[in-house]
Amino acid sequence: MIRKMYDWLDQRLDITPIWRDVADHEVPEHVNPAHHFSAFIYCFGGLTFFVIVIQFLSGMFLSLYYVPDIKHAHASVEYLQNEIAFGSIVRGMHHWGASVAIVMLFLHTLRVFFTGAYKHPREFNWVVGMLLFFVVLGLGFTGYLLPWDNKAYFATKVGIEIAASVPFVGEHIATFLQGGDMVGATTLTRFFALHVFFLPGALLALLGAHFILIRRQGISGPL
Amino acid sequence: MEKKQDGNEKKVHYVGDSRVRRDGKKLQPKDYSEFPGKTDPFFPNYLLKEWMVAAVFLVGFMALVLTQAPPLGDLADPTNTDFLPVPDWYFLFLYQLLKFEWAAGKFVVIGTLVIPGIVFTALLLAPWLDRSPERRPTRRPIASGLMILALIAITALTWTAQDEYKKNLAERGGGQEGGEDVELVAEDDPGYEIYKANQTCLSCHGEQLQGGAAGPSLLGVGGRLSAEEIENVINNGRGAMPAGAFQGTEEEKQKLIEWLAKQK
Amino acid sequence: MSEEKERQKPRISRRQFLTYTLAGTAGFLGSTMLYPMVRFAVDPMLKKGAASEFVDVAAVDEITTTPKSFQVNVKVVDGWYKPEEGQTLTAWVMKQDNGEILALSPICKHLGCTVTWEGSPEHSNEFFCFCHNGRYTKEGINVPGTPPNAPLDEYETKIENGRLLLGPIKKRGV
Repeated sequence: MIRKMYDWLDQRLDITPIWRDVADHEVPEHVNPAHHFSAFIYCFGGLTFFVIVIQFLSGMFLSLYYVPDIKHAHASVEYLQNEIAFGSIVRGMHHWGASVAIVMLFLHTLRVFFTGAYKHPREFNWVVGMLLFFVVLGLGFTGYLLPWDNKAYFATKVGIEIAASVPFVGEHIATFLQGGDMVGATTLTRFFALHVFFLPGALLALLGAHFILIRRQGISGPL
Repeated sequence: MEKKQDGNEKKVHYVGDSRVRRDGKKLQPKDYSEFPGKTDPFFPNYLLKEWMVAAVFLVGFMALVLTQAPPLGDLADPTNTDFLPVPDWYFLFLYQLLKFEWAAGKFVVIGTLVIPGIVFTALLLAPWLDRSPERRPTRRPIASGLMILALIAITALTWTAQDEYKKNLAERGGGQEGGEDVELVAEDDPGYEIYKANQTCLSCHGEQLQGGAAGPSLLGVGGRLSAEEIENVINNGRGAMPAGAFQGTEEEKQKLIEWLAKQK
Repeated sequence: MSEEKERQKPRISRRQFLTYTLAGTAGFLGSTMLYPMVRFAVDPMLKKGAASEFVDVAAVDEITTTPKSFQVNVKVVDGWYKPEEGQTLTAWVMKQDNGEILALSPICKHLGCTVTWEGSPEHSNEFFCFCHNGRYTKEGINVPGTPPNAPLDEYETKIENGRLLLGPIKKRGV
């Protein structure tokens, strides 16, 4: 039955070559932790992706209860964490996942750097990776404000003050980020939009490019 | 761009399992098929091994999530001038950088723009800055050395920032969260009259001990500090508070301390 | 004929023409879609800083040459929130020798303590900050050698029908 459904689809869409290319490519020994234990350093990239998947899922589920408004944000976070079954686990996954994602991303970047994997012909994928790094840091910065507690509020205020110290355009950057002349209601909605729509969109596009480039260029050889 | 319309393409050699053509004079990374060793097909052999690693990772991650409830502070209060702002840990090194004299005040641009700009641009352009075909970290000492230096600097800055934050927090009596729920008690105590009569105290800690622009809230201070510790702070100062701030007789001071110790 | 030759050898090929038209259409589609959205997003940058309202403080007659402290209830606008209670600030208001009214913010420029007029018996005719003995002249100019490194901020003032109104706080040049 499933076989028939697959054949029906394949006849029309020719999907076999697509997944065959991914499924059948040979993975060399030097990146395989089953052959060399030290090859676990090649797992950091995959683990980063895994944490990002966790972030996407837990974030989507958090938005079932969260309200991005200065009067309600804190109360809604408190409610979803304390009143809803598994609330503190789902929020915990998102909260700790953010830190773990940055740690993993950091380790992955260091692995690529120290094995010289960014060299010819993979220069461009390194650039895509760096852009991914900035997007993830941006997600961290914007996500930190959303619970609207004292820590979040004052950390964001300091962050925006730092941005405002840039000569000439600093004040404009600050106003743009704040959505007004103070950290308040419009800042929260702005950070929410960036955190939930704009930056994840950029993240997905860059991740797609990152993976396509890996598949096209292959994994760099052993040292 | 080449067009593949004629159907009889030349035989193309690729590097490794990639789609990068081998021809051309540029130096290519070594092709791992040239090395003796076993390869695994991605699906299902290699993916299974990778998911085993992911499973171990997930167990550790869920253990962290289950044991550590995500922190949620008090509702943001813009008028709370007592709060010690601190960014999330991964921005601490940038934050700490701004505390250096040569990266603050008039030179704040150096700390906010010049140094991070140079570092991140260099990182972004690493493949074009480090163009040698060598890949081993020991054979390209400049690149490796700079990266290790940067790592040491980031670790040191983060650590100092964390340390300073903890010290500052301790200096403030640790009343960072949840201070607002405590109410002023013993309002008819003579100590309160003495407190209100002292402009020095009032101007920073507020009429209701609620704190202000310069001084922390003293509500519940008796729960955090003993009478001796309170006396020590009044006599010797702490943080932004100068020594000998209290202007009154010794007897009045004792009454004040007694009253403050009652604030629990 | 030359005309026919012109037609046979057009300056751009049909394919190029179509490509340029396509690029032009893409530009039109993109900019028409994005213009309102981008303008929408950057509006806060282009809006002139919401001119804070002036708040009634006292009758002009009440102002003397001696600085007196007044409570000001400033309205704050935060997006769609306009809290009724506002924010209570203090101002030291006095009449200067030239007859103009000066309203100073009491926030010390050193570490943000609160200054008081003649707060110290040793320094008459000066603003004094208890925290670190910062001093300011009657005009709010910091006394050199004391901790503050800038003069006190001042409120914008306005007089209407014999009432004093205070506006936003502004920094003063050194």
